[in-house]
Amino acid sequence: MLLTEQDKMTKLITELVEKNNRQRSALIPILQAVQAHSGYVSQFAMQVIADQLDIHATEVYSVATFYHFINTRPKGKFIIRVSSDMSSMMKGAKTIVRQLENDLGIKVGETTPDGMFTLEWTSCIGMNDLAPAMMVNDEVFTNLTPQRANQIVRDCKEEFRSHRQPIGRVGETATNTLTYASYSANTALKKALGMARPDVIAEVTASGIRGRGGAGFPTGMKWNFAATAKGDLKYVVCNADEGEPGTFKDRVILAKFADMVFEGMTIAAYAAGASQGVLYLRYEYTYMRDALEKVLEARRAANLLGQNILGKDGFNFDIRIQMGGGAYVCGEETALIESLEGQRGEPRNRPPYPVNTGLNDAPTIVNNVETLASVCCIIDKGGAWFAGMGSEKSKGFKLFSISGDCAKPGVYEMPWGKTIAEMLDMVGGSGAKAVQVGGYSGQLIPSSEFGRKLAYEDVATGGSVIIYGPERDMLEVAENYLEFFVEESCGQCTPCRDGNVVLLDGVRRLKNGTCSTHYLNEIVSLCDTMQIASKCGLGQASPNVLVALNKHFRDEILGREANA
Amino acid sequence: MSTKPFSADTSRAPSSEKLHRIDVAAGDDAIGATVTVTIDGIEVKVPMGTTILQAARKIGVKIPTLCNHDDLCIAGVCRICVVEVNGWRNLQASCAYPITEPISVKTNTQAIRKARRHIIDLHLANHYGECYTCRRSNNCELQALAKEYGVGHFRFGHPQEKRFKTDISSTSIVRDMDKCVLCRRCVRTCNDIQEVGCLAIENRSAHSQVMTFAGKPLANVICINCGQCINRCPTGALTEQDQTNDVWAMLDDKSKHVVMQTAPAPRAALGECFNLEPGTPVTFEMNTAFRRMGFDAVFDTNYTADLTIIEEGTELILRLYKALVQKEAVSLPQFTSCSPGWVKYIEHFYPDMLDHMSSAKSPQQMFGALIKTYYAQKKGIDPKDIVVVALMPCSAKKFECNRPEMKDSGFKDVDFGITTRELGKMVHEAGIDLPNLPKSDFDDPFGTATGSGVIFGATGGVMEAALRTVIELVTGKKVENFYDHANITPVRGFEGIRIVEIPITEVGPVPDIIKHLVPNWDWLKGVTVKVAVAHGTANAKKVLEDIKAGGPLSQCHFIEFMACPGGCLGGGGQPIPTNPEIRAKRAKAIYSEDAAYSVRKSHENPAVLQVYREFLKDGPCGHEAHHLLHTHYTPRGKFIS
Repeated sequence: MLLTEQDKMTKLITELVEKNNRQRSALIPILQAVQAHSGYVSQFAMQVIADQLDIHATEVYSVATFYHFINTRPKGKFIIRVSSDMSSMMKGAKTIVRQLENDLGIKVGETTPDGMFTLEWTSCIGMNDLAPAMMVNDEVFTNLTPQRANQIVRDCKEEFRSHRQPIGRVGETATNTLTYASYSANTALKKALGMARPDVIAEVTASGIRGRGGAGFPTGMKWNFAATAKGDLKYVVCNADEGEPGTFKDRVILAKFADMVFEGMTIAAYAAGASQGVLYLRYEYTYMRDALEKVLEARRAANLLGQNILGKDGFNFDIRIQMGGGAYVCGEETALIESLEGQRGEPRNRPPYPVNTGLNDAPTIVNNVETLASVCCIIDKGGAWFAGMGSEKSKGFKLFSISGDCAKPGVYEMPWGKTIAEMLDMVGGSGAKAVQVGGYSGQLIPSSEFGRKLAYEDVATGGSVIIYGPERDMLEVAENYLEFFVEESCGQCTPCRDGNVVLLDGVRRLKNGTCSTHYLNEIVSLCDTMQIASKCGLGQASPNVLVALNKHFRDEILGREANA
Repeated sequence: MSTKPFSADTSRAPSSEKLHRIDVAAGDDAIGATVTVTIDGIEVKVPMGTTILQAARKIGVKIPTLCNHDDLCIAGVCRICVVEVNGWRNLQASCAYPITEPISVKTNTQAIRKARRHIIDLHLANHYGECYTCRRSNNCELQALAKEYGVGHFRFGHPQEKRFKTDISSTSIVRDMDKCVLCRRCVRTCNDIQEVGCLAIENRSAHSQVMTFAGKPLANVICINCGQCINRCPTGALTEQDQTNDVWAMLDDKSKHVVMQTAPAPRAALGECFNLEPGTPVTFEMNTAFRRMGFDAVFDTNYTADLTIIEEGTELILRLYKALVQKEAVSLPQFTSCSPGWVKYIEHFYPDMLDHMSSAKSPQQMFGALIKTYYAQKKGIDPKDIVVVALMPCSAKKFECNRPEMKDSGFKDVDFGITTRELGKMVHEAGIDLPNLPKSDFDDPFGTATGSGVIFGATGGVMEAALRTVIELVTGKKVENFYDHANITPVRGFEGIRIVEIPITEVGPVPDIIKHLVPNWDWLKGVTVKVAVAHGTANAKKVLEDIKAGGPLSQCHFIEFMACPGGCLGGGGQPIPTNPEIRAKRAKAIYSEDAAYSVRKSHENPAVLQVYREFLKDGPCGHEAHHLLHTHYTPRGKFIS
């Protein structure tokens, strides 16, 4: 690096560090800003950042290499990342990649000799209904065909010559989000501010709503813990790290009902006595960031955020957006908090829970995008109204992200308690062989069990449904899932880090017809251990697919022809 | 200032590695201060916040561990210590689970045994290497677990080929990542105890690895060679550069006159290599072993420890004289310079404070320089034929003796620095039954050292030795008049940072040896000499930051720094394992050896006085002494190109 370039880089970093009050927690935004400037974070830059934040360069390196979307080596000017989720694979993502390899003259993982293009696979980018899809830098392109992919490459070259950035094209997601659409903005916040704080929590508790991210923890209880936890500073964090493959409802909510999400955060802040809010937005949704910032700006201008909100004396709350770095595991709330603190996104030991010791050791509510949006409806129409919908143990309605082998993929609002068969009828997916409910970490339901209900008491889900038609090879499905988990494991605990590698190897042996029944039993037994001994939900859930295959499709997966 | 017992500083560790705060009612008897837990049917009352692992140990329930270490903060990553806690669907890591309510725990169920066995199987599936060829065989925690859990075959396979290149670039430390189990003990050691930040986790998932900055070779990054990571590595992934074959080659070469000098700390720990209790002294058996192995002379590095006290003490007196009498700008406090890990630490992280460093070489290097000059002349041996081997508790000494400036004798002053562990191996290899050897003493002309030299091996030892000498030289009275048995106990102990104030109420005549440097002691009368001791470079950092901020430590006159926790007795070349209990036992051995010496003050060492009479004729800090016994430092900074 030229000395003058080093000086420029030092100046840039100094400004970034100053702007962030020399906070170590700003490490990831600083890395992202440096990368935006020079395409990657050089060793020199990492050392300057370390020096200025008074940490070790190795710490910066450690954090930077954790996140897939932070480059510590130069890459192409256009980084093409094709989503490798199962929905994309079923819709021909491999064909797209093959053609891109041909057109660019490189293999996946390589950069063209002229430094223009890098081609990579990436984990699910939340465009399953519009699959296949890919990102070019921060922009998203959906409904790809080999021809369209080629056109995008040519456009990139053209735009590079004219010093412009490519602009993504995201298709329209089919939705029937009726309840949200009929909600009148800010009525809930106004109503909440007229209520005593415990009454707000009581209303949410009465609704019976449980966390919509997938874990299903009762929201009212979470708010109550945070409200009663000791601490002057409290946080409300909105988990918009929608990384569970097959899930895209949060993307739709943020695109269409962002105000409701921020309003829900504000209500949570009021209820718990929090003064700071953070929207942790997955990197793949960068293309939405500007719009979201504008929504926040408008809310500040309307005194819906800021000091003494809507005239409520002493109620101060503001929201900032922090981008993720491309790590599925950061959807786990303690990993998300680590990431917000500028660390590697590695889940913490629990207890303690974030409601007591969360962001910066302060009590923190971490809620999913949908939970917060739904809270607006609950406060507006009452907990009883909400609890009147759904099943006995699963109250209210839920948004489902449905993709795969069906006629009408999209985001659907449904009350809890519908059977899988009913859902399949609705989206034109009848005749399916199996359905993945709850994303890769959820459950694989064979057709014989389509009578089961979508509800916490039966098939619990964060709302993702991937439909597999009769021709699908379940081993390919399992291989895809396990490739994902191997890639996305944070790597700290043994069962998950090493176990997923063993499971993936086992699935490949099955696929190649080289797995003995004895060895299949061995890896299924390992699944038991991973499910109970892993540190967080990722490792606990990743073996589910193999357990399901063994249980429901054992005859289909044994005795394959070699290298079929 | 912090008077906390030595403990890892976790203030900068990621929260994922910290045990959370627990609000505990004050006092042991307060309501809510304790909680009763049932482990395998046995009830035990423990303080609130005790981990399940700690509680189990209290009642003799052994839970296996791998990532847990008594010196380090919680990680909870290896999962070998999982247990069943009532009310939980999944197993909990007992090392990371704080007990805050009366829970019931099971540590031995079918699911737990199966999980532990699986975890060991998974490690073995990634662990390349044969135990036969591993230096940690029979002292390896993974091997021990495999045995305990009856691993009969490699259930998930075993690597057939090396996957990573072994990093042998460093003079001190070898990293073989094929043997790493990713317990992160080295990372926590390097960051929390030592604050060096050389090692961290790179990448994620199965690609995660313990790595240096940008994957550079250890020799090219900021490593202080302290070897604390080696001491806490459960396997053979981290070891010292083994130089035993080089030393054997020298011993086998009859044209070479091979000299051993031995530091104080190894003798308090070497017995551990022979299954003796930590803290069993084997000094004189060791001397016999050296001779049987073929060393031509055996010297005690404590001799030059005494010399260091004279040189460094004189330097301090000169600095004080300049500051207090001549009102010159000199850098105070003066820092000790005998710990090579500490020297490299300050060179990297506080190069602007190097003028605080005493220019005196470490005892190892002083000795090397004297052996190849004074001793060579006395014995009539060509110094080129002399090989100096130093037995050290330290991996950084290997780096130190290879510093380019360390050849003031005209030759490489010290040829090899070997660790206690390497010596243990050589003794085994030579077929010597160390614990049952007859005793023998050190050789002349350096003879037996003093108790002051011996205590260099413990944190606070250099300071105590210096104070014994300075107090006697200045007051003209026996130090026993001020401290019982000359034991200056306030500087002893394992607190991370200790400050001691010594008011000088009376002064005596200036002794002959430094008469030419200061006319009298009147200027010291009424002065309160302030000294401090710090060990573990994380504590060193706190001291340096405090000095920079003008805090209480900036008022000190003299500060002892040791890179390793506990000082040299906890050095990176000492037998493995290490923990607070083992270090305390070694310290006890060192202080009892000190008490057994008839001469316990450096300035009374007859051989030291002799060398000033015969060789370093212009006295302490004189021209000759400066040439052979003093050095300079290299500002290294933090940037790596």
